[in-house]
Amino acid sequence: MKKILLSILLFFAFTTSYTQVKPGEKLVYAASYNMSGLMTQLAQVTMQADLVKTSNKSFLHLSWEAATFSKWDSYFKIRDLYETYLDEMTLKPGLFKRSTFEGGYSITQKYIYSSDGKSINGTSKIQKRPETKKTFAIGSSSQDIISLVYKLRTINFGKFKSGQSIILNLIFDEKEYPVSIKFMGKETVLAGNLGRKECNILSIGAKTDRLRGKDKNLIWLTDDSKRIPVLVRFSIPVGTGQIALSTASGI
Amino acid sequence: MRKFFLITAIVFTVLGIAFTILPLGTIAMLPVAFAIIFSLLAFYKSTALLKKLPRLFLIISATTLLIIIGKSVLIKDRVVADKQFEIKKEESKKEDIKDLEGL
Repeated sequence: MKKILLSILLFFAFTTSYTQVKPGEKLVYAASYNMSGLMTQLAQVTMQADLVKTSNKSFLHLSWEAATFSKWDSYFKIRDLYETYLDEMTLKPGLFKRSTFEGGYSITQKYIYSSDGKSINGTSKIQKRPETKKTFAIGSSSQDIISLVYKLRTINFGKFKSGQSIILNLIFDEKEYPVSIKFMGKETVLAGNLGRKECNILSIGAKTDRLRGKDKNLIWLTDDSKRIPVLVRFSIPVGTGQIALSTASGI
Repeated sequence: MRKFFLITAIVFTVLGIAFTILPLGTIAMLPVAFAIIFSLLAFYKSTALLKKLPRLFLIISATTLLIIIGKSVLIKDRVVADKQFEIKKEESKKEDIKDLEGL
């Protein structure tokens, strides 16, 4: 289950502006897992954006929340929260937090980015083990998973040729991973309450054992100015599944 | 052969009931479908006096199938409001603001 959620979250980045995402945006998804050829709904995933103000700055607060549907809570309860805070002016990440609870297994992580964006002060705690602290260097374009996902929406894939790809750098579990994003083409799919939408299909590849197969981890982004992720199909060592948009509001 | 069909029908009927109780959704239809098939085979292989047991498993499987369909149509997937999680989120946000003040 942990791998499913990590794979669900394993996406991308680039460029400079976040005009596609505005505070108040809320996207709700249903996550399903393929069991013996039948898709079974397991959890609800909510992506939200809001504005947080401190005494001298404003931050764009982006969050991903995953919670199992009540029928699963007695068997395998999931309450995951991934958050990142971006400086509203510079759009540089300042703080990333991860709090996962999956079937009794918990992890908490906090990354505070240095002002020059070249290192991270990380704190992590697994289960009831003592908290560990680590400072590690990062590349100038490397980002945590949430800001990368949202940054992906700033790329105009409509101008890409089929097969064209870009490489982005993801920070996860105190390591950097190059992630390739390949444009596969266009397709019209059902996008929850938005109806049918023409989308750009992107294939996600990374040198990690968390993803399986070539071009089997795909994401559909609406081919409009909002570039809303409406569908994700993933293939991981323990099976396949999908995340489909149910409702979009505040866009 | 009747005995084989009957035992297989019993196994799949029990599995079907277990899958129906568990939150497996329409996947529970798989063992139930096999239970119906093997119950039917056992029914046709049985003499008139021995049809009672396969008929019983056929009725149980059919009822289980109706329950699965009913559950998938009538019960919507929902997330229960988790007060503890909400409190944790609020506390976390307050802590985040403290960290952000230092940036």
